Amino acid sequence: MKKVIEGSHAVSHAVALAKVKVISAYPITPQTHIVEMLAELVASGELDARYIRVESEHSAMAAVIGSASAGVRSFTASSSHGLALMHEMLHWTAGARLPIVMAEVNRALGAPWNIWADQTDSLAQRDTGWLQFYCEDVQEVLDSIILAYRLAEQISLPVMVVFDAFFLSHTYEQVDVPEQAQVDSFLPPWQPADFLDPLNPRAFNQMASPEFYMEFRYKIQQAMEQALEIYPQIDAEFNAMFGRSYPLVELCPAIAGETAPLALVTSGSMTGTARVTQRELRAQGILFDLIKVRSFRPFPTQQIRDLLGNYSKVAVIDRNISLGSGGIFANEIAGALSSMEQRPTVYPFVAGLGGRDVTQTSITEMIQRALGSTPPEDILWSGLKA
Amino acid sequence: MSPLNFKGAADMPAFSRSADTMEWNHTGNWRFLRPRYLDKDAPCSEACPAAEDIPLIELLAARGDIAGAWQRIREENPFPAICGRVCFHPCEKACNRGEYDDPVGINSLERHIADSARRQKLTPLQPKVAETGQRVAVIGAGPGGLTAAWQLRRLGHSVELFDARQEPGGMLRYAIPTYRLPTDVLNWEIGLILEQGVRFHPGRVLGGNLGWDELSQFSAVFIATGAWTPNPLGISGEQLADDGLKFLEEVREGRTPQVSGPVAVIGGGNTAMDVARTLLRLGAEPTIYYRRRLEDLPALAEEVKEVSEEGIAICPLLSPHQISGTAGDLQLSLLPMQVLDDPDESSGRARVGTADKPAELRQVTTVYAAIGFNDSPGLPVGTTEPLGTWLRRLKTDEAPETTILLGGDLVNTNRTVITAIASGKAAAIAIDAALKKQIISEQLNAAQIGGKGAISLNRLQGGDRSERQRHVVGFAELNTIYFRYAGRTERPGLTLKERQTSFDEVQMRISTAMAMAEAERCFRCGLCDQCDNCYLFCPDMSVIREKDGEGRHINFDYCKGCGVCVVECPRNAMLLEEEPR
Amino acid sequence: MPIELPAKESVYPGHLACPGCGAVIAMRFVLKGLGEKVIMAIPACCWSIIAGPFPFTALKVPILHTAFETGGAVASGIRAALDVKGDEETQVVTWAGDGGTFDIGLQALSGAAERNENILYICYDNEAYMNTGVQSSGATPLGSWTTTTPSNMPKQTRKKDIMQIMAAHRIPYAATASIAYPEDLVRKIQKAAGIKGTRFIHIYAPCPTGWKVPSEISVRLARLVVQTRIFPLYEVEDGIRYNITEDTVGYLIDEYYKSQGRFKHLKREQLDQIQDQVDQQWQRLKSLSKL
Repeated sequence: MKKVIEGSHAVSHAVALAKVKVISAYPITPQTHIVEMLAELVASGELDARYIRVESEHSAMAAVIGSASAGVRSFTASSSHGLALMHEMLHWTAGARLPIVMAEVNRALGAPWNIWADQTDSLAQRDTGWLQFYCEDVQEVLDSIILAYRLAEQISLPVMVVFDAFFLSHTYEQVDVPEQAQVDSFLPPWQPADFLDPLNPRAFNQMASPEFYMEFRYKIQQAMEQALEIYPQIDAEFNAMFGRSYPLVELCPAIAGETAPLALVTSGSMTGTARVTQRELRAQGILFDLIKVRSFRPFPTQQIRDLLGNYSKVAVIDRNISLGSGGIFANEIAGALSSMEQRPTVYPFVAGLGGRDVTQTSITEMIQRALGSTPPEDILWSGLKA
Repeated sequence: MSPLNFKGAADMPAFSRSADTMEWNHTGNWRFLRPRYLDKDAPCSEACPAAEDIPLIELLAARGDIAGAWQRIREENPFPAICGRVCFHPCEKACNRGEYDDPVGINSLERHIADSARRQKLTPLQPKVAETGQRVAVIGAGPGGLTAAWQLRRLGHSVELFDARQEPGGMLRYAIPTYRLPTDVLNWEIGLILEQGVRFHPGRVLGGNLGWDELSQFSAVFIATGAWTPNPLGISGEQLADDGLKFLEEVREGRTPQVSGPVAVIGGGNTAMDVARTLLRLGAEPTIYYRRRLEDLPALAEEVKEVSEEGIAICPLLSPHQISGTAGDLQLSLLPMQVLDDPDESSGRARVGTADKPAELRQVTTVYAAIGFNDSPGLPVGTTEPLGTWLRRLKTDEAPETTILLGGDLVNTNRTVITAIASGKAAAIAIDAALKKQIISEQLNAAQIGGKGAISLNRLQGGDRSERQRHVVGFAELNTIYFRYAGRTERPGLTLKERQTSFDEVQMRISTAMAMAEAERCFRCGLCDQCDNCYLFCPDMSVIREKDGEGRHINFDYCKGCGVCVVECPRNAMLLEEEPR
Repeated sequence: MPIELPAKESVYPGHLACPGCGAVIAMRFVLKGLGEKVIMAIPACCWSIIAGPFPFTALKVPILHTAFETGGAVASGIRAALDVKGDEETQVVTWAGDGGTFDIGLQALSGAAERNENILYICYDNEAYMNTGVQSSGATPLGSWTTTTPSNMPKQTRKKDIMQIMAAHRIPYAATASIAYPEDLVRKIQKAAGIKGTRFIHIYAPCPTGWKVPSEISVRLARLVVQTRIFPLYEVEDGIRYNITEDTVGYLIDEYYKSQGRFKHLKREQLDQIQDQVDQQWQRLKSLSKL
């Protein structure tokens, strides 16, 4: 059913459709609309779940660790400082192999205070063992929640569905809200092999000595790799049922069947702006192919190589920065390409930090810098008032 | 170490999750101290000359196992019904509970157990021992002689019991009035002994119609003929005084003399008290005169109390000086005494001397003397030497090859029923040792409980309680937190009026409920009573209860030797030792 | 009188606690009181180690080992899961040390208590961070040596009054207990098990290793601490109704303090100061219990 809804509410609808049983969250702008609506759905009985209004994000994650360990589908949502406060428990979730799904609204971290879009919060959690899917629009946000549960429960790892503050969270778009029956068919009830059960009493998460710890980490890595393998099938199934597909990495060529002189790599909501820019510059004869990276974890290294290896130049726009290093997507992409004998030159742009708009103009400027004679540097700042 | 081995990641679960318990981990190898169950001696058992296993007896009583308790007593003492009435119960004075609230009513419980056994018509369990064919003569059928007979039978020897009187019992029958010791009780307990095949020969007087030509036929002879000869008053007119013991004997034999009016009783022991109380019941007006202070009275405190309750005056610090007049109309002159500075160190009693005051005169119908008694006549000429705490060994030319032992009041300075019983038991042990060609003193030592002379057959014979450590548990060694304050159960008694006119037993029995409650008060010093503190407080689940619920053992696979069980044992029935390396 | 406790045993031997560990004795009694329909959340504490490493356990009930500060929150989540499954019978228990309760876990505990989550939160208190090597916690008493309050500068402040904090949340039931009073402890556990909402039990559990005492006096100290009124046994219903469950004679604190290495540097005047505090605290409790 088509509806015009806010990005945050798209998440709430998806959580309800996924028949989540326990929700625990602590409010933080710009995540609040998600959990407000969920609280209303639980209060009205439309969603048969328990809502635990904890006193912190740390407790929010701890609470869903508790509920998921007891074998119940669980959800939380957070952003920025909240996510940072959760950090310890993000590790715990993945280590405990709990398929929790979290909506994470990208927001900048203080100091100074800033409530606007910036990916550094989620990317700072890249080593926690969570899968991270970056969304371009409200429909993708909604669909990703449902896809995330399906994948998470299959590989026993948690998934973060990530999207930009305000640009998506507070923006109304027309969305196709799937039918419950279809979602039920795509996402059956979760039946974990292991859960806290007095009839089968076991200890979970106890100390693993050096004899075992490394193997447990290896198994998480294996699960991540498994996710890369099985996601396309799940996505295909989703596509067959709902008519929408979200590949881990999407190639959008300027001209179908041809390779442009430059590939532009984006993630999140700026991808939409980049698509418009691609069309407009193509009309002016400036060609670049667009690569949308949806999955940051697991990082689709081989697909990146396959898709980017033939270009001479690759521009990456990062709405984030690993301070002291540079844009995080760019670093990872450069890392992925580094083992190739013939590899493109990477132009690592940092743009739009703390909610600054990444506009068609700024994207055009970055494309021109990459196509021109500008030598690549460690960081190419875009729109910086130096 | 771990019984679960994983070849690699593929064998492992997805996350850290238990598949087995920690029981493979034998933490016992951490231990450098080791707890041990070890029962110890209780101070009451040490204080009881018969070494009754009082903690165990009270435990059985508290559980309602009257038969068990009774058999346990009889192992060491065949006279619980009698001792439950007349014993001066040194056990209660030693009772650790006395330092907490009141001593346990061990004496009342003993009587309760025996009386209940009698009502239930229980019979003594006799050990299965082969008859040795050895014949032993026991002369004197008082508590000492009867005890010796009982224990000798239990050891398989054949016993002939001789007594000068017509019925067995000695002092029990002829000196203790029925209001303290009813005849049926006496007859029952003596009967239980005689039924074991002890042949009783009445009217046989040592040195009279019982001679050494006959006695030398026996393998051993135990002489416990008692002390019946009154000590002389040593005053002018002494011949006008009557013998208090003889008086009691006559009353018991039914030849009650006519008494009336004011009567003087001289003395401060139990005989003096019994004489006075008997006189009261016969309608006379007795007064007791004692040369020392009231607190020095050698009589049993309970009896002194009862004497006072019954309205009989005890006049202290008055010493008889002269008796004059004619029978039925006597003047007794008494000298007032005063306490000298230095007390008698051996007895703790005050030393007294005449005070500088005029003599007091009393007009009385009769004077009874009860100031102590001496050995009976008829012992053979010979030499004696002490043998342990309770016996003397006699060498006489009359029977040079025969083991002859003296015991009971002939030997004991503290002449009581229970010391006579101890003496009789010692005699049985000594004779058994002699007949088996063992060293008597070694056997007597091996039977000791504590350091006050108490001897136990159970210990000597390697019985179930013989493994107790030879250590008497003191109050400070108990963990008294586990005991609740609870006052002692007092025995009900006849009313004063009933007591003044009747020879019925003054002290009545306590109810079963009262007895069980009183027995529960016992700390059971040094005795594991399966309270389970060791089990409950063990942090390592290493205290294992035996299948039948009785008995505990330590699982040394896991015991870390923390010692909590030992400290939390309320009754000091455990020990913490160095772990042997 | 013999102590009467349920026979059920839910702790396996072979666990990794130090000899004489009060925390294991406490666990035994608690599980005797609760039976086996229990899910236990254990945030970082000695029991994280005691219960054994992968792939083992020392308990007959399921355990969720979790991060230090999460006791209140994780239990809330487990409870929510059981509620949506319709399982009202299983008790959700948080088993936390004093650090995880008084300090790092206080926020999550407060949150759970404010929400009146239907959980039983048990703090076994050994008065310092023992697992990490005896560092001072908010539960460490005044004057105590720890590795972070050395004996020439021992703990300068009083132990946090966690019971008052919990009572202030107006939770339906809060109680103190000591491993030396097992019947009282089990009675409180069973009473708590019959109440809905957040229940808090503060169990005194000596640590011979950290307190520098011989292991065999572990339980004895847990008794002395009550007898001296340093750690009174009481319960608070709905945060307002106080009931002293063990009215003790009030021995002087000296024997308790002098038998422990962690207090051996204390001088007479310091002991007198502590005695005054103990007396005042007791008077306060007495007056509260009369309200």
